Amino acid sequence: MNEEAAREGEGSPVLIWITALALLAAMVAIFIYVPTEKTEGAVQRIMYFHIPSAWVSFLAFFVVFLSSILFLWKKEREWDIYAHASAEVGVLFCTLVLITGPIWARPIWGAWWVWDARLTLTLVLWLIYVAYLMLRAQTDAGSMRARYAAVLGIAGFLDIPLIHFSVLWWRAFHPLPKVITSEGLGKGMDPAMLATLFISLGAFTCLYFALMGQRVNLEKLRDDIDRLKKDALDSD
Amino acid sequence: MRQYFSQVAAIVWKDLVTELKTRELFSTMFVFSVLVILIFIFSINLSIVKATEVGPGVLWVAFLFAGTLGLNRSFMLEKENGCLQGLILTPADRTTIYFGKFISNLVFLLLMEAFILPLFMVFFNVDLLAHLGSLLVVILLGTFGFCALGTLLSSLSSNLKTREVMLPILLYPLMVPVVIGSVRMTGQVLEGVPLSTMMNWVGLTLCFDVIFIGVSIMTIDHILEE
Repeated sequence: MNEEAAREGEGSPVLIWITALALLAAMVAIFIYVPTEKTEGAVQRIMYFHIPSAWVSFLAFFVVFLSSILFLWKKEREWDIYAHASAEVGVLFCTLVLITGPIWARPIWGAWWVWDARLTLTLVLWLIYVAYLMLRAQTDAGSMRARYAAVLGIAGFLDIPLIHFSVLWWRAFHPLPKVITSEGLGKGMDPAMLATLFISLGAFTCLYFALMGQRVNLEKLRDDIDRLKKDALDSD
Repeated sequence: MRQYFSQVAAIVWKDLVTELKTRELFSTMFVFSVLVILIFIFSINLSIVKATEVGPGVLWVAFLFAGTLGLNRSFMLEKENGCLQGLILTPADRTTIYFGKFISNLVFLLLMEAFILPLFMVFFNVDLLAHLGSLLVVILLGTFGFCALGTLLSSLSSNLKTREVMLPILLYPLMVPVVIGSVRMTGQVLEGVPLSTMMNWVGLTLCFDVIFIGVSIMTIDHILEE
């Protein structure tokens, strides 16, 4: 068991190095390579952090959903660890989205926050998964915590499409901000900007897996310590 | 199948009889929602804003808050004296416990709403009778979804250390689609818009109801596992 854990620990530095290099490349692309946007100026560069963070948080919440289903199906601690780790990483990146968004919006829209459909969706998502983490913190380690968290992980993700449509129709009377629709790939986007966005997306995805690897390892080490403690107590 | 229904009915009956004996829950929910409406009336100036614009929001917040009291109570009652343990030990399917609790929560909340609506009509000076049919459909759809998800989450939160606090934190973010939909639909109905023009909202709320009844059936076994 210990050997296995050690081997996994050896495997992760490769991923960490790849992530570090990818992030370095993304930084070079964002701050040196990509041209400054004509109307928005330098502040537009935050988009290369904002969109990848949003993508990673959605990916993370999807992983929580899948792991939760697999946990309830197979009842293996492994899946509970994945769900927990992914929820933590997801909340981290969702927080980044909520921080980088207003920084960009203040000079461009003239307001820190607008009750636009996407902003509302992100905020509600953040609240759902913070509640998920609170639920985990409230219960003692064990099968009960894992089962409860899994139920919430499933319910939370299934709710996302419903929330999406409700906030979309809620603000249907207001015109959608032009800047957000032009974020769609393709039309009118400079190839250099598109390339930078994709480098950044790749780098953030690597970062997600690197953080996940670390977090999962940490949780497994914690389990090992608990087991060793229990063994030591029993042998006394 | 008949046995299943009679098992569900037994749980609902037990809850109703308990409530008839104590009358604790209904009075608490009713007074609390009147207070919520009152506080909102103090915080908004009804001579400036239109009653049909703010009214639906106030109404649904009152329903939601009072409903949360009821949900919190529904499984806490079972935790006392180990009643839940007894229910789980009965040879009935676990989903019967869910449906029993769901129906009794729904009945309490609908009953309370029936008492709140006339008060709302008086306080906000809105004519509800003209569109009563569509209004009742909207309220039924929203309350159904609230109780479907709420019963699932209260069965879960009743085992936590800080149960009363955790239920709203878990429940409210997930209730966002129903809250937006119900408030929007109620507002339009009070303006005299026919329900047939809001089929997207009706569909969305129905989807919510069906999805969370489904999720509950699939997962209640894992929550009521002892």
